Amino acid sequence: MNPLILLVPILLPVIGGFLIIPASFKDAKKRAYYAEAVVVLTSVFVWLALLRVSRDPVTVYSFTSGFSITFRIDGMSMLFAGMISVMWPLVMLYAFEYMKESKRQNGFFAFYVMTYGITLGIAFSADMITLYLFYEMLSLVTIPLVTHYGNHESQYAGRKYAAYTIGGASLAFFAVVMTTLYGDAGTFIFGGSLHEGFNTRLMMFAFILGFFGFGTKSAVFPLFDWLPTASAAPTPVTALLHAVAVVNSGIFAVTRMTYYVFGTEMLRGTSIQYICMMTAAFSLLFAAVMAVREKHFKRRLAFSTMSNLSYMLFSVMLLTPEGMTGGLLHMLIHGVIKMMLFLCAGAFMHVTGNNYVYEIDGVGKRMPVTFSIYTLASLSLIGIPMFSGFISKWHMVMAAIGEGSAWGTAGAAALIISAFICAVYCLTVSARAFFPMAGKDRYAGNGGIREAGVLMLVPIVFFCVVDICIGVHPGPIVDFVSRIAGGIL
Amino acid sequence: MLIPFVVFFPFFGAVLTALIGRKNERAGDCLAAAVCAAEFLPAILLLFRGGEFRIGGIMAYGISFTTDGFRCVYAVIAAFMWLFTTLFGLEYFKEEREHLIRWWFFVLLTLGATEGVMLSADLMTTFLFFEILSFTSFTWVIHEETREAISAGYTYLFIAVIGGLVLFMGMLLLKAALGTLSFDLMDTAVRERGITKEVFAGGICVLFGFGAKAGMFPLHIWLPKAHPVAPSPGSALLSGILTKVGIYGILMTTMHVFSKNTGYGMLVLLLGEITMFLGALLALFSVNLKRTLACSSMSQIGFILTGTGMYVLLTAAGSEEGAGTALSGLMLHMVNHSLIKLTLFMAAGAVVMRIHSLTLDEIRGYGRNKPFLKAAFALGALGISGVPLFNGYISKTLLHEGIVEGIHECTAYASLLRVSEWVFLISGGFTFAYMLKLFICLFVEKNSDAVRQKEFDRERRSMNVLSCAVVFGSSLLMIVLGQPAVMKKLAAFMTGSEEISEFSAFAIGNLKGGLISLGIGAAVYLFAVRNIFIRKGSYVNLWPEKLDLEFLVMRPLLVKILPGIFGTVLSVFGENKLLIPLARAAVFLGTFAGRVLADSTDAVILFFRKTIFKERKAAAPKTDLPGFWWTIRESTAETIGLLAQNFSFALLMTCIGILLILGGLVFMMLFHS
Repeated sequence: MNPLILLVPILLPVIGGFLIIPASFKDAKKRAYYAEAVVVLTSVFVWLALLRVSRDPVTVYSFTSGFSITFRIDGMSMLFAGMISVMWPLVMLYAFEYMKESKRQNGFFAFYVMTYGITLGIAFSADMITLYLFYEMLSLVTIPLVTHYGNHESQYAGRKYAAYTIGGASLAFFAVVMTTLYGDAGTFIFGGSLHEGFNTRLMMFAFILGFFGFGTKSAVFPLFDWLPTASAAPTPVTALLHAVAVVNSGIFAVTRMTYYVFGTEMLRGTSIQYICMMTAAFSLLFAAVMAVREKHFKRRLAFSTMSNLSYMLFSVMLLTPEGMTGGLLHMLIHGVIKMMLFLCAGAFMHVTGNNYVYEIDGVGKRMPVTFSIYTLASLSLIGIPMFSGFISKWHMVMAAIGEGSAWGTAGAAALIISAFICAVYCLTVSARAFFPMAGKDRYAGNGGIREAGVLMLVPIVFFCVVDICIGVHPGPIVDFVSRIAGGIL
Repeated sequence: MLIPFVVFFPFFGAVLTALIGRKNERAGDCLAAAVCAAEFLPAILLLFRGGEFRIGGIMAYGISFTTDGFRCVYAVIAAFMWLFTTLFGLEYFKEEREHLIRWWFFVLLTLGATEGVMLSADLMTTFLFFEILSFTSFTWVIHEETREAISAGYTYLFIAVIGGLVLFMGMLLLKAALGTLSFDLMDTAVRERGITKEVFAGGICVLFGFGAKAGMFPLHIWLPKAHPVAPSPGSALLSGILTKVGIYGILMTTMHVFSKNTGYGMLVLLLGEITMFLGALLALFSVNLKRTLACSSMSQIGFILTGTGMYVLLTAAGSEEGAGTALSGLMLHMVNHSLIKLTLFMAAGAVVMRIHSLTLDEIRGYGRNKPFLKAAFALGALGISGVPLFNGYISKTLLHEGIVEGIHECTAYASLLRVSEWVFLISGGFTFAYMLKLFICLFVEKNSDAVRQKEFDRERRSMNVLSCAVVFGSSLLMIVLGQPAVMKKLAAFMTGSEEISEFSAFAIGNLKGGLISLGIGAAVYLFAVRNIFIRKGSYVNLWPEKLDLEFLVMRPLLVKILPGIFGTVLSVFGENKLLIPLARAAVFLGTFAGRVLADSTDAVILFFRKTIFKERKAAAPKTDLPGFWWTIRESTAETIGLLAQNFSFALLMTCIGILLILGGLVFMMLFHS
């Protein structure tokens, strides 16, 4: 099939989403049907592209020689695009229910749908320039989503978000320029695409700027503060964008840059590698502890996201195929788990109007499905066997131990310790929901509190089923990801 | 097909019980008992028809089961204990039906998971079922949902999770170092590669992971809290079998990986001794019936760990016979302790069921005219104290014999072992003392409240016929297992060797150890307990409130110290402390440079007027403009204010990013050339 079809899933949601604004739907139902149709159609095209399109690159527009917008599908794009193409339509359902009472829904859904296309652009991009272009666009298109509520808190969050992501991207810009200069226009080739004749020290410097620059979107240690603050956004945004799409595109970009542009050979064993690894290791511990301290439900989960993103960065920075397998697996699996957690948290907040962890006391008996799934997701996130989180944690820790250096083993220990802290911050919520120490009757007499609507429960249950399926029978997915890490796909 | 049935049938039964129990509670109760009964028969058949079983693909690694003497016996004991506690539970839960279906559901799930652990052939399978039972048994602890129960439940969960994750780490380290997780293949792998640093680290992690469930020091903190608050059938299972799950894991790694590693042996021995002594001491101080029994469990786990340590030391010293003695001793003590605690906790349950209290003062004199209860409790107490002719005596003597062998064989640290021998004997003495304390309190003394005593005496029967049969029936095993011939057969079956066939239980030397212990116990009871722990006719708790490992060390570390440290880091690196000052500095520098550049023109003019044109009285042109520093300060503040309030703050960050890049570039260039 003509590779130009790759453009369809990117442009369709961007144009389709944009059209919501001039159309300015009055009827919520019509808008919902329209938006869902666009998103589902896009997902269909994504799968068509993933399964049918050849592996050739397609250049859409060429500025000058070696400086063009090019798309291509390979293993990593399949993983990332496949993952979000399943999640987006489902979370849209959730969003319809969640945003029912909100103002300015046209704007919200317009940007929400547009983000889908931009994220797919990141997934399909074939070189650093294209990746960077869509990366910046992603920052811009999501700002209105963060500031959606328009109150003081979300304005502040939006400013902060913009400052961090745009500032971060400017750091990464240097890496983009350097790789375009000294590489094959920054084309992604497994194993690295740099030519000879560059200044190694300068290249290393470019790498570390790129790591922290792209890492900003995945909230790596000193540049993380935007993520918890951005919890002021509506839950569909926090769940899909700040737990999966946006933050994972940071991981995606770092992985691309590390394995497909710079190449692991150059970096392995250098102090740069260990700086990145240790930053990630510190970051994951730090975030876990901060999550325990945090009382705001969504901010707590945001810190947990930060911690898990740093797992991935750590694992990717091991620079071994096993490490890449672990990192990418966790990207997928953490996406599923965190989606459940956020959607459950959102359901709680939507139904009760409360935001804080201490307000959860005893709500479990009122919302049994939501909080049972929340508990399962927590267990999965900790890494209890038979849930998917165990699989990715297994691969990451094995890779860290197998890496051989003392740093690797130290990182493995950090992973385990933070998994324990994860148990503290996740399970205390379930424990409060089902077995409160006090305030058992907070929601007892109140007949109004019950499960959220069907549209909200469907995605939650779906992700739970996916989580357990991967946990019990992970063979195919692990094979797929390790083929990517082996450079075969 | 026997093995998958034994492991997975209870899971199926649990779901069925929950479904039917929702409709009809009474039917749910009966179904739970029926499931346990149906589990018991195939478990017995396992003794005669072993085998292996494997399912590939689950969790990518697959799970596998196998049988041998030890595993089969424990599979049977687990099924037996579940059957008895469930039958007892039929009466125990008669009046407190709240959450009962949840209770049966999780009890049956835990049965399946326990069988899974006990029959597991590789560490992965052990780990999987171990985690399942950790979480399912959490609901036992919080079952009553009182404040104490929930608090204890949190502690239990905390330790269970910490144990599970440390175990996970250890498992991965072993997998990386040995290349396999199958117990049988580990033997060969260790023989080929030796005990490397990684293997040792993995072993320590596994020891702590399983030790958390076994109640090993310093992870014992959940045990004295969780056992008393759980319903009695649950306490019996927690103490009788779930602690043994931990021991199972420790024993398997010990036998297959570390059987000849002296360092590991010493570690297990020391931890065992501490657990043994501390448990006995805590039990002696306790004034709560079930808490005493729980601390006693901890102490007995210490005995078993001591045996494990001796087994390793003796194997390392090359003494086959001594190692065989220690191994038989510890396995028999596991069996004994499981059965004894079954009886004792059910007896305690019979007390709680009627008078809803566990404090010694309040239950004092309850059992004075209840012969079956009295007999059952007495048999349990005799068994656990190691009185000759009862079961605990034989296993304890074997364990003691192991230490004595060690003193002869391992001459390098004979003095250390001599100390352990005395710790062993004193702990044994304490056991006798606290059991005596419980027995005399419950069955001999009269309650200080005469009205209450009259009520107790009026009640002739504390249990219905079924419960009575169950409790008394289980206690008769103490006598059966007290016969040396039976024990020798059992040991031979479990260890698969005939090492102790020559062992004579009632030889003078062996009797001496037991009698010294009993003597110490009697003395402690008479002098310490009667005079110190009983004041003005009531039992007092002399243990200092503050001396609690959990609240003294563990909680503050997790809740205060770590977040405190990281919180400080956050406040340094958070935007208000780092980014805003950075932005301010950048703006300040910019304004400063701009002002200096602007003023420099004035300065040049002034310079020329003074030098070339010789205007002596020349001065700087007077303007209305404010002073130099003031301008800089004000415009900086203004710019920052503007920046922080709008979108251009982002652009400023961009500029800082680019500046950093430029600076870095320059630095790199200079550095390189």
